[in-house]
Amino acid sequence: MYEERFDKRKFDELRPMEAETGIIPNANGSARFKIGNTEAYAAVYGPQEVKPKHLEKVDRAIIMCRYDMMPFSVPDRAKPGFDRRDMEISEVITNSLNRAVILEEMPRSMIDVRVYVSQADAGTRCASLTAAAMACADAGLPMRDLVAAVAAGKIGDSICLDLTKEEEDFHEGGATDVPIGFLPSKNEIVLLQLDGKVSREDLKKIIEIGKIGAAKIYELQKAALKRRFSNESQS
Amino acid sequence: MSLENYEYVKEIAAEAIRLDERKPIEGRKLTIKNGVINHSDGSAYLELGGTKVLAGVKVLPGEPFPDRADEGGLIVNFEASELCTNYPSDRIMYSVEIARVTDRGIRESNLIDLKKLVIEVGKKVLFVYIDVFALNNEGNLLDACNIAALSALLDARYKIEGQEQKLPLPLDFNKLAVSHTFAKVNNSIFYDPSAVEENVASARLTLGVGEKINSIQKGGSGFFTPEEVDFCTGKAFELKDATKDLLMKQTKK
Repeated sequence: MYEERFDKRKFDELRPMEAETGIIPNANGSARFKIGNTEAYAAVYGPQEVKPKHLEKVDRAIIMCRYDMMPFSVPDRAKPGFDRRDMEISEVITNSLNRAVILEEMPRSMIDVRVYVSQADAGTRCASLTAAAMACADAGLPMRDLVAAVAAGKIGDSICLDLTKEEEDFHEGGATDVPIGFLPSKNEIVLLQLDGKVSREDLKKIIEIGKIGAAKIYELQKAALKRRFSNESQS
Repeated sequence: MSLENYEYVKEIAAEAIRLDERKPIEGRKLTIKNGVINHSDGSAYLELGGTKVLAGVKVLPGEPFPDRADEGGLIVNFEASELCTNYPSDRIMYSVEIARVTDRGIRESNLIDLKKLVIEVGKKVLFVYIDVFALNNEGNLLDACNIAALSALLDARYKIEGQEQKLPLPLDFNKLAVSHTFAKVNNSIFYDPSAVEENVASARLTLGVGEKINSIQKGGSGFFTPEEVDFCTGKAFELKDATKDLLMKQTKK
């Protein structure tokens, strides 16, 4: 049984969030997103020439994404470098951004998206995707919508939003974690993964609660982008 | 930056004028924030002008090196991450050189007493991992990396398994060696070069200075005369106290 959350949050409450854009002036677009003790930095370079050349698409742009964790982001030290987990997460982030960014408007080009996790406390792929989407918007890429991603899940018998590492490792009754990425204003799901076991009804509830969380993240993303562009017009 | 601009930077450098209106021996604003990474044992976020780096220290047990059974280990890793540059070749070149220079600066100053990091001789010692990540490069990553690493070391509190108490690292503050980088642009010597200045500089000199000089690295394809080297060393000794004070102040908070 899991009646009260470890950090005393309500079941549909997100951890405190911070969002910021334009933090890496060298990049075309950049963002930092922090949710609880999970933090991701994202930078976007492009649209630029496609390298290697054979990847070029005549009718649209391609997105090259790289997700990596900083060595000090986890309790043990994460070995620097690109491992299989990084590869998988890079792939799911690419897939989500492929839907969010209007690639057809930038044929024969490449967009480099780089995401680094500086602090990890569960939900890094969601935080990374959220940051990456903000960085894309900051770079001025044509987009259908931002991507707001959050993990939801079932711990014991309770449906919870935005799990922490402690909750993910909850043993009695088991914990199931479902990262979900939304294009909020379009009501489209672009990221969905699951490990554990849930019933059909529960999955429905999990997606429902994820949608509520995503809507809140979406507001924060928009506010951060607005703040950035209103600052620019002043200076 | 276009070619004309580079020419212009070189031209004004002849009269010891800098594009950002700094004096030749004047650093940019340095700010440090500690305790930014909750999974690390010590951390620092540093801004040197527009250059931003993130450093984290981890203290983990491991087997000692076979030739140094009675010493802990120090491992410095620097990554000019893909966030801060679009060109992979730059990244690799910087990363290795900067990590090695930072490593030498800290190791040779004997700031950390590695002999005190032994749990069981020959079996179990503590390794101090310093990982530094560049977030944005506006020049002088060398100094930024070194100072961030030092600050994270000062901030570090580690715990040995089975013990409750958190301990600071065995550091000798008197031996703190701070890195100072000078660039030579059109025969003028500039301290704390910006990215533009680094691009047009013919040579670069990095001095790790504590009580004595602990590390030197000359970079770039140009040259320094013995007099210029002496001038830089003199300036480094004058400048070191300000940085050192800032580092010490951070730790007292």
